[in-house]
Amino acid sequence: MADHMIPRERCEFSAIVDRPPLKLPGGARLVLWSIVNYEVWDIARPMARQVIPAPTGQPLLPDVPNWSWHEYGMRVGAWRFFDLFERLGIRPTLATNARVCEDYPRVAEQAKRDGWEFMGHAYDQMPIHRHDDQAGMINKSMDILERFTGKRPVGWLGPGLTQTLDTPELLVAAGVKYIGDWVYDDEPTTIRTANGSLVTLPYTVELNDIPMMIVQHHESDYLLKRAIDQFDRLYAEGKERAKIMALAIHPYISGQPHRIKYLEAIYDYVNRFEGVLHWNGAEILDWYQSARARKAAA
Amino acid sequence: MNAPEQRRLLPTDRLTYSAIAERAPLKLPDGARMVVWVIVNVEEWDATQPMPRTVLTPPAGGSPSPDVPNWAWHEYGNRVGFWRMLEVFDAFQIPGVLAINGSAIAAYRPIVDAAIKRNWEFIGHGFTQRNMQKVADERADIRKTAAAIAEATGARPRGRLGPGLTETWETPDLLIEEGYDYVCDWVLDDQPVWLKTRTRPIVNVPYTQECNDVAMMLIQHHKASEYRDRALDQFEQIYADAKDSARVMALVLHPYIMGAPHRLKYFREAIDAIRRRPDVLFWTGAQILDWFVCSNPSP
Repeated sequence: MADHMIPRERCEFSAIVDRPPLKLPGGARLVLWSIVNYEVWDIARPMARQVIPAPTGQPLLPDVPNWSWHEYGMRVGAWRFFDLFERLGIRPTLATNARVCEDYPRVAEQAKRDGWEFMGHAYDQMPIHRHDDQAGMINKSMDILERFTGKRPVGWLGPGLTQTLDTPELLVAAGVKYIGDWVYDDEPTTIRTANGSLVTLPYTVELNDIPMMIVQHHESDYLLKRAIDQFDRLYAEGKERAKIMALAIHPYISGQPHRIKYLEAIYDYVNRFEGVLHWNGAEILDWYQSARARKAAA
Repeated sequence: MNAPEQRRLLPTDRLTYSAIAERAPLKLPDGARMVVWVIVNVEEWDATQPMPRTVLTPPAGGSPSPDVPNWAWHEYGNRVGFWRMLEVFDAFQIPGVLAINGSAIAAYRPIVDAAIKRNWEFIGHGFTQRNMQKVADERADIRKTAAAIAEATGARPRGRLGPGLTETWETPDLLIEEGYDYVCDWVLDDQPVWLKTRTRPIVNVPYTQECNDVAMMLIQHHKASEYRDRALDQFEQIYADAKDSARVMALVLHPYIMGAPHRLKYFREAIDAIRRRPDVLFWTGAQILDWFVCSNPSP
């Protein structure tokens, strides 16, 4: 394999205070970017996450209890998300394994009907490092989503945000315009690849129910508390420069009966403020690219 | 030119046990009761290596490399989080102590410049963020870091913190030989202590794993507000304890942790509450060192 750029070679270090501020239309302060993750967990493999390890902690196959814990999200939890976003009139970004279109067409159809943005999220849920033909998997995933929705996705999120060093090249070649894998800024950035530039949008591993609930084991109501704290700070900063607040959720976690009310309460809270836009990734990308084009023309 | 080979010094060879209640009292100037020092750790994580800490594990576990998401999560601290934290230091006029990887000096020059402008103290950290037990040439690592700091700031660092507080058996010996005056890896007291080395002794200034955002947020997984609550509980107890003899409290933070939007305010609230107390000093490590050595010269 040829030498690939390490992250530092794709983009110089930049302190946010040294950049001219980005501005949102209409004096808005903040974009709330909601990202729903729908996945396929192949029963033949170890589960992507576990809510309960087997007695004595041994990894055993098949792992039916954790498979079915995730399956609950697709059967039940996802419909709580659909209800919420329909009620609010929000069209979130759906980071979806392409295989969801094959294994859960009912779920994928609903997201399409509701006008959600489909974002590439691998074929199914395993680290991208394990693919022998990563380019093939990326293209296959993009093709499936394009056939299903009639439009090639512009966004991509690695499974668990995983990438190899050459992933950005492969994504650009497959037609991807933005990625969520680089959680290194509050603003979109542009990075270099051998196949042209790629935009990074500020996805999150902080306001994300996997690290919070499955890794850090916080109580359910902490999602609301952290979201309010995150919002308050970014909204205050949004007076000076546009801020994007990502919120990443999974139906098997935040779609649980005991958690959904805290997710709903986040939207109740932020919608009390003026100048909050609910945009999906494609809309954020359009705004960022227009801003860059204006800057280049100036 | 290096010190002669000697037998390995165990921690108990470096200092003898001492009960804090049985020592001669330490007194601070102007009737102050205690000192707080605030240490910001700025690191550079090598994208080609396993990440020192992670917030997100990959699907189905394991540790596939490269680990770009966790690299990026840390990088956020230096691009965005640090600048948020800086506002607190400015607003409350407290001196910062920057524990910085030698390699981070070149990688994050705007951070270095902001710290120089505010007259912060720079202390050495590992040249890279890797356990000292795994560094092939420890003396060269310590020397290179001191040289990088001296070149950037015009002054050699006087203090040093191991990456993750790690040391080899030899670290205190190497530090004094390489011109350092204090170490802070030994979290064994509320007051500075002298540690023997194979040459001259070196001071340890009290650092903390307790009021430290890595331990609290990434290992113990506390809510963000616990940083404030624990800092104030720690403060009130040490303040009470310091009635007759001065004590030192450390507060430790990392830009990628407390610099996250949802966490910063709890650091601010802790500083705000402590700053209101008139008989509490905010000092750098070097100020604590000089004060301590003045009344407790090298044994």
